[in-house]
Amino acid sequence: MAITRRELFVSIGKAGIPAAVALTVGAETLQAETIPIPSAAVGLLYDASICIGCKACVAACAEANDTPPDTRGDQLHQAPSDLNDLTRNVIKLYKPEDGSAFSYVKRQCMHCLDPACAAGCPFQALHKDPESGIVKWDSDKCIGCRYCTITCPYHVPRFQWMGFNPRVTKCELCSPRLEKGLQPGCTSVCPTGAVIFGPRTVLLSEAHSRIKKEPGRYYQGRVYGEKDNGGTQSLYLSRVAFEKLGLPELGPESVPARTLRWQRRLYQYFALPAVLYVSLVQVIRKSLKGHEQEAHEHEKETGLRAQL
Amino acid sequence: MSTATLDTQTGSRLLANAAASKPRWERAVPVYGFPVVNRFFVALLAMTGLAFVLTGYRELAGLGPVSGMNDAYGWGIWKTFNVMVLTGLGSGAFAVGIAPWVFRRKRLHALMRMALLTSFLAYACGLLLLGIDAGRPWNFYWIVFPWKWNMHSPLAEVAICMSIYATIPLAIENIPPVLERLWYFDSRLRPGVEKFERRLHYFFPWIIAAAYLLPGMHQSSLGALMLLAGERVHPLWQSPWLPLLYLGAASFMSFGCVAGATMLCCVMWKRAMDMEILDEAARITAWLIFGWLGLRLLDIVFRGALGTAFHADRFAGVFWLETFLIAGGGWMLWRSLRTHKTQTMFLGYVLSSLGGMIYRFSPTTLAFRPNPESLYFPTTIEILVSFGFICMGVAGFLLVVKRFGILPAPLQEWHNMAAYFRFRRPYIRWTGYFEHGFFSDDELEREQQLELTDSD
Repeated sequence: MAITRRELFVSIGKAGIPAAVALTVGAETLQAETIPIPSAAVGLLYDASICIGCKACVAACAEANDTPPDTRGDQLHQAPSDLNDLTRNVIKLYKPEDGSAFSYVKRQCMHCLDPACAAGCPFQALHKDPESGIVKWDSDKCIGCRYCTITCPYHVPRFQWMGFNPRVTKCELCSPRLEKGLQPGCTSVCPTGAVIFGPRTVLLSEAHSRIKKEPGRYYQGRVYGEKDNGGTQSLYLSRVAFEKLGLPELGPESVPARTLRWQRRLYQYFALPAVLYVSLVQVIRKSLKGHEQEAHEHEKETGLRAQL
Repeated sequence: MSTATLDTQTGSRLLANAAASKPRWERAVPVYGFPVVNRFFVALLAMTGLAFVLTGYRELAGLGPVSGMNDAYGWGIWKTFNVMVLTGLGSGAFAVGIAPWVFRRKRLHALMRMALLTSFLAYACGLLLLGIDAGRPWNFYWIVFPWKWNMHSPLAEVAICMSIYATIPLAIENIPPVLERLWYFDSRLRPGVEKFERRLHYFFPWIIAAAYLLPGMHQSSLGALMLLAGERVHPLWQSPWLPLLYLGAASFMSFGCVAGATMLCCVMWKRAMDMEILDEAARITAWLIFGWLGLRLLDIVFRGALGTAFHADRFAGVFWLETFLIAGGGWMLWRSLRTHKTQTMFLGYVLSSLGGMIYRFSPTTLAFRPNPESLYFPTTIEILVSFGFICMGVAGFLLVVKRFGILPAPLQEWHNMAAYFRFRRPYIRWTGYFEHGFFSDDELEREQQLELTDSD
């Protein structure tokens, strides 16, 4: 006996009506969801057109974070080719073959307003500080799953592959230094002021005034990070296309908001799973009764103990 | 004296029935007459032991020296194959279980114990490897503090849901064969076992319902994992429908795993196959496959990614490989319903499951392109550990089917087994099976003969 039509309609009704209510409630709250900008959001403004590629910030970053210099390239110079387990901040060079404009780029954590790494982190080891908006890593909560290295659209968090106690390394905007009233390592040494530290609003107006002062100097006349990926706290100005510098065009919506919308909606308040669970119990209870009865009939017929 | 619970008349009728009609799977019967420990089993244990030794090395040295994982490919085969693929293959307790319990395909109850066992082993091995793969596994204790969970993280969903599912509903669902074994083992245990069974059956609907809700959630969340990776997953795979497609793939793959493994066991241990049940399973699997392929194709077309399937690159190759495997497997299953050839059916299961495995493997590895210069290929140690844990699952399976009533068989098989323990192996009395079965009309004589030989 398959499920009868009447029974199907009844169970759909039982499950469906509360589900519909839960969904509508959930949908409304989700539409109202906007990415809050932390009250005291701080960040970096990096102007690639001023950067001279001296890498003072790379050395200062390692020093500020108490990491040994990464000299694995030639055993002499601190010249990491990319972010890695010892490098939270790196200067890279974009130099096209055809001899057109080249540019340095400083890569470190973007401190997104809606960070994908924190959205995916199972136990909130990576979390956004509610005040400063710095995306911090908590060693007590990290299980070392490396999901952050997969989710981050800028490919910033790196995992320490060596040793039994690995950590995730990423720029945390030198939070201990900020608490002492100091500037982050990188901005404190930059000789040309290519990277500056400050509240996000101040940095944004500074960036806009630079664009206004010299229209046409900057790519598309816009600040990368103002709206990209839902907004970031590390802001970029550049002469060459942002994509060439490893800053992908992600659109104004943040990655988690864009990709996990349905995931979030379905699990809102855990309402839909709960409704589903209760209706499953109802259906299974009836199946179990029938199955038990059949098993006992079979037991009588064969004289062997029923198997359920 | 004779403790057989049947009168001879009913017994003869049953025997006659079994001989005359097509074989029916009526009872789960342990595999008897084959020793658990043989050369193959020892080899499996050796591989498992090796895997554990290498795991010890991994815990001390870190992930870098033992694996091919790197900054670009943060996940290796331990997660992408042993967890994402093999738990999909081992979702039988979900897909095969939901068919009789929720959709009332009652015949499939016969495959239930196989489904539950394979699922439990796949999940247990997968979870163990998940723990080994985690860089800081000691922090897993946060799992007991729900307010520390990141409720919107697909990975939290997977880790939490999977561990809860495998340790509570799935483990409880696997208890009945154990209780049955105890019941036959010693008559003094029976009142306790029966009392426990009654209590278990009282809670069963809640447990079984959780056993469908939780895998439904985490098997789809396994697909949701790669949503956050965005553009880095090739457009043929990256889709908002990934969760549903992952769940669908798990469904038909696990049907293939359960039914295919049962067929293989029937051939290996010379048991009759119930074609009515196998046909039903094949029909459901074929429909699941066709529905899944339809959804996948529609999704690709509507997202406008179809063009990339005709580029001459490895992604298109993988796509067509998995599509042809799945479609070919589905077609063979469909055909086997007409031709009644078990070989075609088995091959259909193998091909479709293989295709499903590649599909579930692709978004994280084959179709994942973090940057053009990085590559990932598992190291020997990685492969050995991964393989060792699969061996552990297979060894566990071989042990359990020979000691517990898991594999479905015709009723006659039970009586044969009881007779086997009664007459051929009278010294294995501890199974308790020897006194529950219909032996034959001249049972009394043989019993007396036996006693005579015993007293000599």
